[in-house]
Amino acid sequence: MISLNINQKEYQIDVNPDMPLLWAIRDIVGLTGTKYGCGVAQCGACVVLMNGQAVRSCVTKVSRAEGQKIVTIEGLSENNKHPLQLAWQEIDVPQCGYCQSGQLLSAAVLLRENPNPTDQDIDDAMAGNICRCGTYLRIRKAIHRAAEIQQKGIKNG
Amino acid sequence: MKHFAANRMRYFLPVKTIIIITTIVSIIGIMTTAFKSKTIFPIDHAKYLDKNKDSIESVQAFMKVYKVLMSPRCVNCHPAGDVPLQGDDSHLHTMFPKRGVDGKGLYAMKCANCHQPTNTAGLHTPPGNPNWHLPSADMKMVFQGRTAHQLAKQLSDPKQNGFKNKEQLISHASDQLVMSAWNPGEGRSLPPMSHGEFKKAWVTWINKGAYVPK
Amino acid sequence: MAIWLGVSDRGFAGKMLNISEAKNFTPYILVEASGGITIFNIKPEMGQGTFQSIPALIAEEFEVSLDQVTIKQSNGEKELGTQQRAGGSSSIRTNYTELRKVGASAKEVFIKAASIKWQVDAGSCYAENGKVIHKPTGRLFTYGDLVEEASKLELPKEPKLKDPKDFKILGKSIRRPDVPLKTNGKAEFGIDVQLPGMLYATIERCPVIGGTLKRFDASDALKIAGVEKVIEVERIMGRYHSIGVAVIANSYWTALQARKRLKIEWDTKGFETFNSSEYENHLRSLASEEGLIDKNIGSVDALHLQPQNMVEAFYETPMVAHHPLEPMNCVAQVQGDKVEIWTSTQVPSTITGTGANDLHKYIGFAPDNIKLHAKFIGGGFGRRLNIDYIIEAVNIAKLISKPVKVIWSREDTTEKGPYRPMTFSQLKGGFSEDGKLVAFQHKVISPSYQEAMRTDFDKTKADGIMVEGIGEQAYEIPNIKTSYVRADFHVPVAAWRSVTSSTVAFAHECFIDELANKAKKDPLDFRLGMLSKSSDLKRVLLKLREVSNWDNPLPVGKGRGIAQWEFFAGLCAQAVEVTYNPDKSIKVDKVFAVIDLGEVVNPDNVKNQVEGAIVMALGAAIKPGITLEKGMVQQHNFYDSPLIRINEMPEIEVHILAEGGKVKGVGEPGLPPFAPALANAIFAASSKRIRKMPFDIGNV
Repeated sequence: MISLNINQKEYQIDVNPDMPLLWAIRDIVGLTGTKYGCGVAQCGACVVLMNGQAVRSCVTKVSRAEGQKIVTIEGLSENNKHPLQLAWQEIDVPQCGYCQSGQLLSAAVLLRENPNPTDQDIDDAMAGNICRCGTYLRIRKAIHRAAEIQQKGIKNG
Repeated sequence: MKHFAANRMRYFLPVKTIIIITTIVSIIGIMTTAFKSKTIFPIDHAKYLDKNKDSIESVQAFMKVYKVLMSPRCVNCHPAGDVPLQGDDSHLHTMFPKRGVDGKGLYAMKCANCHQPTNTAGLHTPPGNPNWHLPSADMKMVFQGRTAHQLAKQLSDPKQNGFKNKEQLISHASDQLVMSAWNPGEGRSLPPMSHGEFKKAWVTWINKGAYVPK
Repeated sequence: MAIWLGVSDRGFAGKMLNISEAKNFTPYILVEASGGITIFNIKPEMGQGTFQSIPALIAEEFEVSLDQVTIKQSNGEKELGTQQRAGGSSSIRTNYTELRKVGASAKEVFIKAASIKWQVDAGSCYAENGKVIHKPTGRLFTYGDLVEEASKLELPKEPKLKDPKDFKILGKSIRRPDVPLKTNGKAEFGIDVQLPGMLYATIERCPVIGGTLKRFDASDALKIAGVEKVIEVERIMGRYHSIGVAVIANSYWTALQARKRLKIEWDTKGFETFNSSEYENHLRSLASEEGLIDKNIGSVDALHLQPQNMVEAFYETPMVAHHPLEPMNCVAQVQGDKVEIWTSTQVPSTITGTGANDLHKYIGFAPDNIKLHAKFIGGGFGRRLNIDYIIEAVNIAKLISKPVKVIWSREDTTEKGPYRPMTFSQLKGGFSEDGKLVAFQHKVISPSYQEAMRTDFDKTKADGIMVEGIGEQAYEIPNIKTSYVRADFHVPVAAWRSVTSSTVAFAHECFIDELANKAKKDPLDFRLGMLSKSSDLKRVLLKLREVSNWDNPLPVGKGRGIAQWEFFAGLCAQAVEVTYNPDKSIKVDKVFAVIDLGEVVNPDNVKNQVEGAIVMALGAAIKPGITLEKGMVQQHNFYDSPLIRINEMPEIEVHILAEGGKVKGVGEPGLPPFAPALANAIFAASSKRIRKMPFDIGNV
C-alpha cells in the first residue's frame, strides 16, 4: 500500500510503485483536474505541486510522491479564489480550459517566488506549458493581474 | 681592532646560504601554495617541478578527453547560453528551461520538476539523476563552442572549473552526474568511449601535467 | 410542473414553432414552477465560447440575465433538433436570428399569460429579469408563477425582436460561465468521465497507415495483473477501415504496460513503401495537368498577354495535425440493444442521429437506443467532427459487460491521423500593357477531402472544399480561372481549423503580393486598387490601414505585410510587423487583425478566438508538419511535432467590425490570413520571398 497526501488528505492506494503519479491521482484517487496531455513532460497539463514545486506527474513515480505534500488544482484554493484564479476569471483566460490546471499551478510557483514578475520572468516560468488554443497573451496579462491582487491582499492584511 | 672586526662582519654575509635558503623557502612557499589555495601546479612551472611531466602524452590524453566532453552527453549541460541543450543534435532544450542562479532552473521549470532521480522509461522521456542541474550562473563551465586549447585551459583553471584542485578534478570524472552520461536513457547515444577509457585519459592528462594543447 | 418551451409536457400539438422550412423549433428553454430556468446550449463547447454565446441569444430576448439561468450542454437529444454540431464557425452566424426568436417568442407567451391572469391588455405589460410587470400598477409575476398559464398558449411564429440599443447581454463582453469551472479542475472533459466498475482500454493500431491486423499473441500481455482482456477492434473513418488490438485493464497505465507486450503481425498492404516526400514530387508533377475547372470568369485562355507582364509561382503547404490537448477518448457501455456513450465530440447530432452517415449505421444500434453524454471538449479544431474513436469504443464495449474508457495516447493521437491534407498551388497572373491586373489563375493540386470522407464522391467534379474561396475573393479581376487537380491519397484527411483556407490563402495572398511587387505598388494600395465598388473587404482593408498605421514607414530592418481571406466562415484581414535581424532570423513583433462580423455577441470572446487562431496559424507556418516514411508517420509527440509556446508570442491587437448586415463567423477566420501576412512582412523586411510552409524564421 502506498500513502499519498493530496490536498491535505491521506489516501492509501494499492498500485505498482512505478505507476506515474498522474494516473494514480486520476484513475485511483479520482481527482481529474490534473490532465494527461502528452505523457513525456512536454506539455505541462499534468503539473501538480509536490512540496511546493511544480513536478510533472506524468513522469513522477508514485514511489517518489509517497509521503510528500501534493497539491492538485482542486487544492489550489478553498473556493476558487486564489489570486490567480480570480485573475483568470476576471480576464476570461481559458478557451477549452484543458491546459489551465497546469498553467495555474505553474504560475502559482512563479508568483510565490517572484511576486512582481516581468514579462521575461513569466516566459521563463511558463514556456513549459502548452496551450493549443493559444491563450498565452491572456495568461501573461492574468499573471500580472494576479500579482496585483496578491499585493493588495497582503496590504489589506 | 673594533673597526676591523665590524668590516669583516659586514663582508661575512652568507651569500650562498641566502641563496639556498631563498630557494628552499621558495619551494616550500610554492608547495604550500599548491596545498593551501587548492590550485594545481601552475602550468608554467610544471616542467621544473615534476619529473613525471610529459607534455606530449598529456596533450594526447586530453584530445581523447576533448572528444568525450564535446559529445552531446556532456555539451548539452555545459551550454554557452542559459538554456540547456537536448538530444544527439544538441538543439535548444524544448520549453527553454533556464539556468537560474544556482543552475537548478527557475520557477515551474526547475530541473528536478521533470528530471526524476532515475531515468524515466521510454523514448523521449526525461533522463534522470538525483542531482540534475547545470553549472551555476557564476561558474558556467561552458563547453559548447570551445576549442581543445580553450577547454583545457578552462578545466585546469580553478577560477573557472569550480575551484577544483588536482585531486578534486581527478575525482570529478567519477561524479555521479558525470557518470550518468554513460546511462543516458533509451534513444540517446553514448559518449565516444567507455567511462573507463575516459577516466584513464582524464587522469593521464592531469597527472602528466595538464598540458594545454596549442 | 415544468414547461419545456417548444414541446409541452402534454404533447406535441400547439407548441412546435417552425423557424424555417428546413428546421424544427427545439425546446431550448425549460422553466419550472419553482422559478428555475434552464437554457440548453446545442453547440458543443470547445473553447469557442458557445456555452455563453448561444444561451445569450436566447436569454437576451427572453429577458433573463445569464446569472438567473442554468446552462446545460445538449446531448444530441431528438427534441433539440439536428443542428447539435459545432464546426465551420457556424454556431452564431447560422442561428443569430433564430435563437433570438426562440427567446422572444417565449417572452411573448409569458407576457400574454400574465395579461390573462391580470385580465389586462398584454400591451400594458413588459418583461424584465425573469418577471412580467404590469406597467400601470407595478404588480408582477415571476416566470415560475406563470408556467401553468403559459403552457396553454401557442408560441407566436414571428415574435418581435428587441432593438439592439436595448441589449443587455449581446454585444457586451460578459464573463463566460464555464470559466470558473476551468480554473479549479471542475470542468469535466470526456477523458475525465468516471463510472462505477469502469475499465480502461488502449489500442495498438498498425504503424503503417492503411495497414490492418493479421494476427496477434497476447499471452505476455495477459500476464500483467489487472489486465482483463485483449481483443481485436475495428476503426472506421469515412472510407478507411482498419483493425487494431485493444488491451482492457483496470487502469489506463496498466493497460499501457500490457500493450507494450503484445506481439502483433500486421498486413501493411503495400503501404509500407509510401514516402510523403516522394508523394510531394508526384504532386509537383501533376501541376502540368489541366485539372477540373472550378470557376472560369471572363476568358483567361483567350487573352494574349506579353510574357514580360506575367508572373508565375508555385506554393506548397504541408500536412499538419490537429493536436487537441485532450487526446482522443471515449467511454462506452453496451447493455443489450442499448448503448451509452460519454465523450468529447463536436457532433452530438451525428451520434444520436438517424441519417445515413450517422453513428448508428456503423455500430448497428437503433438511433433511439443510443444515449450520449456530451462533455466539455479539450480542443476540437475539426478532429472531433469525426466519429472513428467513438466507433472503436463501442466495438470494444460490445464485447465486455462493463463500461470501458478508451484513451488514445498523445502518440496515438499524433501518429494515426487524420490530418489536414497538403495542398500545392500553381498561380499565374497577367497584366495588361497599361499595368492593370487582368488575368489570375489558381490551380490547387492536392488529395481530396470529400473523397476521403464520402463513399459517393464524384471524381469528375472539382472538390469544392479543396478550392474554397480561391474563385470568390472580392478583387475585381476581369478574367479568373480556378481549377483543381486531385491526387489519390491513402492517408485519412480531415478538416483542420479553417479547412483548405488555411493553405490556399497562403498561396493566394502571397501571390497577390508578388503581383503588387511586379506592379511596383504598395501591397495595400494594390489590393484597394482592385476594390473600386464598396464591399466588406474594402471596409475591412481600410480599417486595417488605419489601425495598423500602415502609411507610417517602419524603421530599417523592420517590415510589414498584409493579407486577407474571405470564405464560408467569415472575413478577416491582418497586418504583421517583423524585424529582420543581422543573424538572418525573423522576429514576429506584432499582428493587427480586423475581423468583420456583422453582429457581435461577446467582443472579448471574439478577441480570444482571433488571438488563438493566429497562434495556431503561426505554428502551422513555422513548425514542422507531418511526414511519412515507409508508410509510417514520423512525428509522435510534442518533441518532434512542436507547438507554439508563450515565449514565441507576438503582440496581437484585434479590431471587430460589427456594422450590421450578414452575420459572419468567429472561430476560423483569424487563421488563413496570418501566414501570408507573415510571409509578406518577411519579404518587406528581407526581400526574401517564401513560397513554402513551414519555413524557418530562424534563418531566412
